[in-house]
Amino acid sequence: MAEFLVCRRPTNLVGGDTACENGVAARINVPDPNHARKDLSASHGGGAIDEVVPLDLLPFSEIWAVDFEFGARAGENLEPVCLVAWELRNGRKLHLWRDEFGAASPYPTGPDVLFVAYYASAEIGCHLALGWPLPERVLDLFTEFRNCTNGVPTSNGNGLLGALAYHGLDSIGTIEKDEMRDLVLRGGPWSAAERAMILDYCESDVAALARLSRAMLPNIDLPRALLRGRYMTAAAQIERNGVPIDTTTLANLKRYWSDIQDQLIADIDANYSVYEGRTFKADRFAAWLARNKIAWPKLDSGRLDLSDDTFRQMARACPSVAPLRELRSALSQMRLSDLQVGSDGRNRTMLSAFQARTGRNQPSNTKFIFGPSVWLRGLIQPPSGYGIAYIDWEQQEFGIAAALSGDPLMMEAYRSGDPYLAFAKQAHAAPPEATKATHKAVRDQFKECVLAVQYGMGAEALAQRIGQPPICARELLRLHRETYRIFWAWSDRVETHAMLKGSLHTVFGWRIQVPEKANARALRNFPMQANGAEMLRLACCIGTEQGIEICAPVHDAVLICAPLDRLDADVARMQAAMREASRIVLNGFELGTDAKIVRSPDRYMDGRGTVMWDRVMKRIDEQRQGAKQ
Amino acid sequence: MTDVKKNLTANPFNNLSTLRLDQSYADTVGVKKLLTTVPVRKPGRQDFVRVHPDQKYRLTPAAIIEVKEDREVYLVTPDMAQALPGEFSLVTLYLTITRQGVIHLWPVKLSGPNGKQNEWHRSAAEAAERAMKKWVRVTSSMSLGAYEIFEASGDLPEPVWPDLSFEEIVEIAFRERLVDRGDHPLVQRLLGAV
Repeated sequence: MAEFLVCRRPTNLVGGDTACENGVAARINVPDPNHARKDLSASHGGGAIDEVVPLDLLPFSEIWAVDFEFGARAGENLEPVCLVAWELRNGRKLHLWRDEFGAASPYPTGPDVLFVAYYASAEIGCHLALGWPLPERVLDLFTEFRNCTNGVPTSNGNGLLGALAYHGLDSIGTIEKDEMRDLVLRGGPWSAAERAMILDYCESDVAALARLSRAMLPNIDLPRALLRGRYMTAAAQIERNGVPIDTTTLANLKRYWSDIQDQLIADIDANYSVYEGRTFKADRFAAWLARNKIAWPKLDSGRLDLSDDTFRQMARACPSVAPLRELRSALSQMRLSDLQVGSDGRNRTMLSAFQARTGRNQPSNTKFIFGPSVWLRGLIQPPSGYGIAYIDWEQQEFGIAAALSGDPLMMEAYRSGDPYLAFAKQAHAAPPEATKATHKAVRDQFKECVLAVQYGMGAEALAQRIGQPPICARELLRLHRETYRIFWAWSDRVETHAMLKGSLHTVFGWRIQVPEKANARALRNFPMQANGAEMLRLACCIGTEQGIEICAPVHDAVLICAPLDRLDADVARMQAAMREASRIVLNGFELGTDAKIVRSPDRYMDGRGTVMWDRVMKRIDEQRQGAKQ
Repeated sequence: MTDVKKNLTANPFNNLSTLRLDQSYADTVGVKKLLTTVPVRKPGRQDFVRVHPDQKYRLTPAAIIEVKEDREVYLVTPDMAQALPGEFSLVTLYLTITRQGVIHLWPVKLSGPNGKQNEWHRSAAEAAERAMKKWVRVTSSMSLGAYEIFEASGDLPEPVWPDLSFEEIVEIAFRERLVDRGDHPLVQRLLGAV
């Protein structure tokens, strides 16, 4: 029997009939242009509050709290087991076992109906699995709980159980929950008694949802919450689409990976002599660094900093380190068995929307093909007759910083198409007629400076990245401050606002509360990261609503898939959606996009991983040839 | 209430700009960088500096006493200067700013009673004049017997001056070093009274 996984949040509340919630009060934030000039109150879940109205006056004809129980084998789509749904005003209740699911949704899903769920992409994924229409107005209490507590610790986590505990509401114990979850996990067939228990369990989640709604609604900024709910609908579709994988090559990789590791080490280590068997030896690495006159960051203890972050940074500054970094990453972090690929050849995993503090998705690194080993992305291959496109915003963070700060020089640099060279020209380090070809070295240094500012690096770290003395790095950073004074004044205000008022927010109200030990760099960077996340979410909404098959959102990019005869048109539509999203988030300032198109039978390849991919494939071919002989 | 219903049953995603929250943080509680220290010194040999071109932002002549062992400069009021002949120097105090935005007062000595000005003082005054229009760096050259002046060739941005009057800046610079009375410790020390 195939292993069943239940992709569910920890849940449960045993409660009575709380279907009728007429007494609940909800603060309604009516869309109003004036809100753009109001600040968010630290005591609320984001957004200015206009008035308090009871739940029965919420402007929806029906409000449905919905919960599915479902199974999902690794990489496969959700398999709904049962559904419980309560209408929160008239008390109507639905209990459906899987053999009772019809062709149509048992509750209405139009724009006048509010669909309430906890981590709604799961429920919407069940709608997709059943071929039901998707709810048009989604209130996801998970995203709102995350938004309410983002930045501060929640002692019981972010699941339904944690949200209930946070609001002082009763819930069943984890043991009872685990027992019920195991029962669903076991898979069918279930006895009549078991079916009843599972339905009861599902209903207890809906009861919990109803009670949680009552506790949370007064502080929910509804229009913006609906926008976050809209993204959960897009996320469900993206999770269902998955990323097309070359399963033949993946099978070979899994089969021979263990055998070729020693050869890969031998291949790459020939230039370093830092491995003993499969063990990386720090003292040998120190000797290699000394021989090659490379200054390597150290820990406070005086030992070399061998973290992957440091390797990644140093690999950029010293390309000779890059192959070693790829090897270490592949050997230590890559767990091919964890990569979830369904029987249709699609890599599927929960996007874990809104899990990051910035509001970004945070899918499992080992389950998601866009995890840390970039060379492994060579496994991405469109199915026969299809193509894929990786579309990303050009210098997204720089563009966001320029637009939000309103720095005219920064905006001018972005619009030039090459902000790094434009910065060098604005700082008088390159003549007006300079090009990427004529002033590559200068451009590279200014590019690193821009990135260093974005990452909040100091002069020492920048010096390491550019391979220059700290005085050069300090001068570059000074030029940035001097050239983009308006940006820096805004950045100062961001930090001041965070420290004085205790929170920051995005254009659509994703908030972070300033934690006890505030990191000034992270706070200053929050508007770029979190508004970048808003932009990506909005682009995903627009794209999926237009019928574009988005396979994955990746930081500042999306991967889409389309039949070859439609690929170019879909790429153009997705690029238009991304431009539109940037204009909305940045108040009219438009960010450009790049598209890398791959047509079947070619495969996707990240340039940073090409050498490693070729090396691995060569070794696998040798193994296969050897096996044939 | 009807309006509320109408607003939300309408598609809230039709015009997202109405949901957009301001990102300028301009309404945050104002924070102003306070100027609490103004050194009185000549520019560092590596510093490119500018001098405020407005005559309101200089004091000339100003009587100062440099206490070299304490590395301190005192401003002497005209009344007290008359009581301390030979103890002070007459200078022009220029408001000066570095490329890093640090401001200081630059004392440039004036000619002596006989009208003669040595090359050090003359070249410093010339440097200050040039620094009103250009970014300059000033270094002493013993072989030349004067300051060498280097003008920045690049088209560098104009300095941003503090939003304070010159009087306020002088007050900050000499807050605890104003010789304005006979029983001032420095006067007592110079007169050998302590």
